[in-house]
Parts: sequence; structure tokens; C-alpha cells
Amino acid sequence: MVKYHPDVRYLTDYSAGSLPQSQALCVATHLHYCNSCKARVRELNELGTVLFTRQQPVAVESAAFDNLLSRIHSDADHKPEQPASVPSRDSARQSTQSTLPRAIAKLCKDNLDSLNWQSIGKQFRFAQLKLGDRQRETSLLHIKAGGAVPRHRHRGDEITVVLQGSFSDQEDKYNIGDFIVRTHGEIHRPVASQDEDCLCLSTLDAPIQMSNWLLRLLMPFFNKQPGQRSASFG
Amino acid sequence: METDSDTITQDSASEAAAARWIDCLARISADRDLVAYKALFDHFAPLIKSFAYKIPSLQESETFGEDLVQETMLKVWTRASTFDPGLSSPGTWIFTIARNMRIDLLRKQARHSVNTVSLYQDDDDSSELDMEDIWFEDETSDVFNLLLQERTRKQVNESLLTLPPEQADILRRVYLEDKSHSEVAAELHLPLGTVKSRVRLALNKLKLVVDR
Repeated sequence: MVKYHPDVRYLTDYSAGSLPQSQALCVATHLHYCNSCKARVRELNELGTVLFTRQQPVAVESAAFDNLLSRIHSDADHKPEQPASVPSRDSARQSTQSTLPRAIAKLCKDNLDSLNWQSIGKQFRFAQLKLGDRQRETSLLHIKAGGAVPRHRHRGDEITVVLQGSFSDQEDKYNIGDFIVRTHGEIHRPVASQDEDCLCLSTLDAPIQMSNWLLRLLMPFFNKQPGQRSASFG
Repeated sequence: METDSDTITQDSASEAAAARWIDCLARISADRDLVAYKALFDHFAPLIKSFAYKIPSLQESETFGEDLVQETMLKVWTRASTFDPGLSSPGTWIFTIARNMRIDLLRKQARHSVNTVSLYQDDDDSSELDMEDIWFEDETSDVFNLLLQERTRKQVNESLLTLPPEQADILRRVYLEDKSHSEVAAELHLPLGTVKSRVRLALNKLKLVVDR
């Protein structure tokens, strides 16, 4: 049972399309597990539609429709898709639904092992995900059953969504689908439950020049800028 | 006919029109019917262009509006067969395509401008995700959903005009101008909490979000 949900601000910005991609990925991941938020987003999309249809129309250029037709006629890619040829959402869903949300499954090509995992100690590893969002860093975090994430202070806001297993911090225990926001300055030390490994999606507001989750994680201890070395993306 | 954006009479007209757009999409899907496509284009293209230019930073751009019309309407053509009237209304379907394409075009523009500054070596590391992997259409089709959506739309249409101006204004900024809550807060010199509570009040008034 999902207990922690994105607040209305995230759902509205998601529905409006203005949420940064990495945070939108967190919301979409939560929606995969949460029907009540899915219903809310559906309602918010209706609000968007009403606002959209109430706009003052702006005349398009007179050649616009003809341009469209010539693109349609000239390019085989623009043939109407037949239902059968459309990559079936159903088949994609069947292979991943029981395990991973669609976007995550795509990013790791249905195989979590294909990601470039980096370990910190024996209990914790993370893999950066490649998103077109330079302001934030997005990673999958994997904590071994009973293991802990190194204690760290948040330098920016962090959103975490639980994908498998569960973890606890000083405040509560978080289960699959839970959407947890930690703000700048909070210190916490998540610990996975004893019986199962924990997999989470996490996105962290990040200064643009730093590109390594690990470096920033350790920053409070070194308290100085790393060199210009940038970490490799998988 | 439906040029006035602030009349209530539009509601019933658009309800009736929905049936017509459903028919147009079915004809495009079955027969590649250009007459049906033109009818859709004439109605939705000017709304899409209007939607494109709601973003203040793009109001100077001569091409963005037409580009968004082209990309969105092209998707409407190629995807017509995937439109499921049991899943969403034609208006919602086209709005979500336009929203996704706008995100996509904005991202391409941003990447281009970053490239020209050449700050990064790995500039072409675009995301491996498509917009639709994140902003996906809902996949469950059922009549109950559709009825709920219709009721929601009606509710929103009816109560939108009763909102206090500052609440309506914030909804427009969030939905049409592509601004997140934080950006709206910065622009209006308001604390984020104030923006959040105005949106929440507006949504409550529209009976959209009942506090958990």
C-alpha cells in the first residue's frame, strides 16, 4: 500500500508538462504503483484540456496545411500507423509491469545489470541514469538487505521513489511506490529492511558543474570542490 | 464560431463537437480521409499555435508556433488509429500530444543553445527516453473512466469562471505558459508556499483535488 504521495504541486506540474524531466520520471514511476494519483493526474489533464480549448485561437499560416500534406505524402514514416504495427503498449507492459515501470525498463533495457553500477562499500551501489536534464542527477540506488546508505547531508532537494523492497530512516519506513521528498540540509541515513534488497529511483538537484553523485555524496567530508574531472556516464 | 475564449456557451458546443472529432479520427484511421483531417486541422491548429505562444520567451520566435502545429498535427495523422474514444476525449488526446511535442521542441531548442556555447564535451548525450515514456497516456480503457472525465470537464468548465482572478491567473501560468510552481513564484515575487496554496485553493474550488 502506497503511503507517501507527490503533493499537488508535483502532480499539477507533471500534468501541465512543466516538471523537469528527472522529477517527471519520479512522478511517472510513482503513478506506475499508485492508482489514486493516476486518477488525479487524469483529472488534472482534463483541466489542461479545458484551458487549452478556451484559448484565443491564433491563425496559422495559409500554407500550413499544404506543407503538412506534402510531408505526409513524401515520407513513408508518416503513414498512419495501423493498430497492429504500433508498438503494442500491452506487450511492453506485460514484460515489465510486474517488475519495473516502463521508463525505467527502457533505460536499463529490461536488465538492471546492464547499467553502470558503482559501489560504495559492500552494501550500497548506484547507477546514474542518462536523462536530458542537466540540473539534476538521477540514479538508481541499490541497498543490500539490512544495508545502509552512507550518512549524507542533502545539498539540494532529493526525490526518492521505492521500486523494490523497503527502507527506513529515522522518520518512517518506506515501501514500494512511496514518493519521498527530502529538502536541502536534511541529514539522513536510509537503511534497507532486513529481509529484502531495496531498489530506489532518486533524483537530486545538483549544481551543474558537478556530475558525480559519489563526489557530492562525499562532499561534506572533503568540503572542497573536486577538480574538473567529470565522471563517465555508463 | 468558437472564437471567444471566455463564453460558457462553448461548453455545450464542444461537447457536441467531440462526437464530430471522434468521427474524423476514425475516418483518418480507416480511410486516410483528408477532408476529415482538414476539419480537425482547421479547428485544432489555431489552438495549438496559441498554446505554443503562451510561453513568453518564445513570443519573438517566428517559427515555434508553426513548428508545433506541424509536429502535433503530424502525430495526429500517424497516431489516429491509436486514438481510443473509450480512453479519452479527442480534445484531451490532442492536448496531451501538443503538450508532449511542446516539451520535445523546447528540449531540442535548449540543447541547441547549449551546443552553441559549447560548455560540455558530451553535448549530444540526449536522453534515451522519449517524452511519451514519461508523459504516457493512461493505458486502462473503461467506460467508468470516461464518464468521470466527462463529469470532470463539465465541472471545470462550469466553475472556472467563478475562480478569483489571482487563482485563475496562476492556473493559466502553470498550464499554458509552461511554468513550474517555482518559476511562477519567482516571476510573481511570491513565496512558493503562496503559489502552492493558490493552486490548491483553485483545484479545490474546481472540485478536482480533494485533500487526502
